[in-house]
Amino acid sequence: MVDESQHELVPDHTVLPEDEVEDVLEEYDVERTSLPKIKRRDPALPDDAEIGDVVKVVRDSRTTDEAIVYRLVIE
Amino acid sequence: MTEITDDIEAVVEDTDLPRRLKEDVYDTIEAREGVDTENANYIAKAVEAQYKGSRVDPLDPVGTVSAQSIGEPGTQMTMNTFHYAGVAEIDVTQGLPRLIELVDARKNPDTPMMTVHLEDEYATNRERAHEVVWNIEATKILALGDISTNVADMIVSIDLNEDTLAERWPTVESTTEIAGEIADTVQDNLGVQVTQNGTVIEFGPEEPSYRELLQLVEQLREITFKGIEDISRVVIRKEETEEGEEFVLYTEGSAFKKTLKIEGVDASRTTCNNIHEVHKTLGIEAAREAIIDETMTTLEEQGLDDVNIRHLMLVADIMTNDGTIQSIGRHGISGNKDSVLARAAFEVTVNHLLDAAIYGEADDLDGVIENVIVGKPVRLGTGDVDLRMGTTSD
Repeated sequence: MVDESQHELVPDHTVLPEDEVEDVLEEYDVERTSLPKIKRRDPALPDDAEIGDVVKVVRDSRTTDEAIVYRLVIE
Repeated sequence: MTEITDDIEAVVEDTDLPRRLKEDVYDTIEAREGVDTENANYIAKAVEAQYKGSRVDPLDPVGTVSAQSIGEPGTQMTMNTFHYAGVAEIDVTQGLPRLIELVDARKNPDTPMMTVHLEDEYATNRERAHEVVWNIEATKILALGDISTNVADMIVSIDLNEDTLAERWPTVESTTEIAGEIADTVQDNLGVQVTQNGTVIEFGPEEPSYRELLQLVEQLREITFKGIEDISRVVIRKEETEEGEEFVLYTEGSAFKKTLKIEGVDASRTTCNNIHEVHKTLGIEAAREAIIDETMTTLEEQGLDDVNIRHLMLVADIMTNDGTIQSIGRHGISGNKDSVLARAAFEVTVNHLLDAAIYGEADDLDGVIENVIVGKPVRLGTGDVDLRMGTTSD
């Protein structure tokens, strides 16, 4: 089996706990549905991610050391 | 050489600079002679001021700036595709056609290819590397032996080359066994009775028919006996790396998912130039990275490497925003805008206006184009700032 998360192109995906989701939405002052999306069938998604969860993606950024983005799991 | 003292570290860490810039400041101070804490403080403050000054201001139209910053160098790109300009004699689309292909998110690129990195001894030993090549490259009958058509007896006979067989199936002991496998594959694919005699395989149409005989030969040429159907050619190249030399494979044609599963292939470094295959195999975040990498290399190959990567990152962010790859243009991003006027201003104006009228759509006039059309100030930059006199701040 190929482990997608080990590929260079794939950044770390972790499911964000619900209380931290609130903090994030407050910080950016956006609705949950305004976040970028990620499909539930996405190969890089952790197995325990459900529709409606928010996934935290830690990218190795080209311009700073780390870039943290959030994606909402959909359909 | 200046040593980084605790005091110097304190003044640098005190700034709002991101990690990488702090490292750069340390490196610069270290490389200079006689920098004391006061100098270091000046340097750190100056870098910080420069950094803050070059950040995007609130209400800056970043999308428009990106569009122009990619569009203008785009005008300098070659309109023609140069062939065999890529690595290792593999023909890759370059320049403007490639850039258009990427932002259009074309399902099948003109010249799909993969860069396959190898693991452990496969990467250092040419023989082992070749094993992987045979598992990837599609092997057709013409590579394995000679086909002769006997019209008098209505028989097609294939005289398999034993050396080639032994080379391409290194794990199988006898060539007769390999010939047997090939005979089975022919029988399954053509649906005719196949007889095998050593490394000679013979078959013919059920009813004697000249046309059918020729048809069988045609079909025979299409069968893939080993490797991956979509990959027509693999080139091996020895490349220098930090840890020494390694063999890297370049393929003409792509099948990313299948290739990653092949033994000996390094599934953490192998890449593919088809962003849709990357998306399907590794997910949306990997697709975003691939879009940035591919657009940047396309520009770099044309000597346009002064395009800032942030513009390409913005493009990739927008293209992957909804969890799938959307193209820039009528069928993707521009076609999905909320505003009727923005869509109408882009392409097929009448259709959009007509549809909007039928469904009773409203336009909030939030965007740039809408406000240009109605002649209101665009809500960007100074256009979004109101000044009031006579009010007191609390």
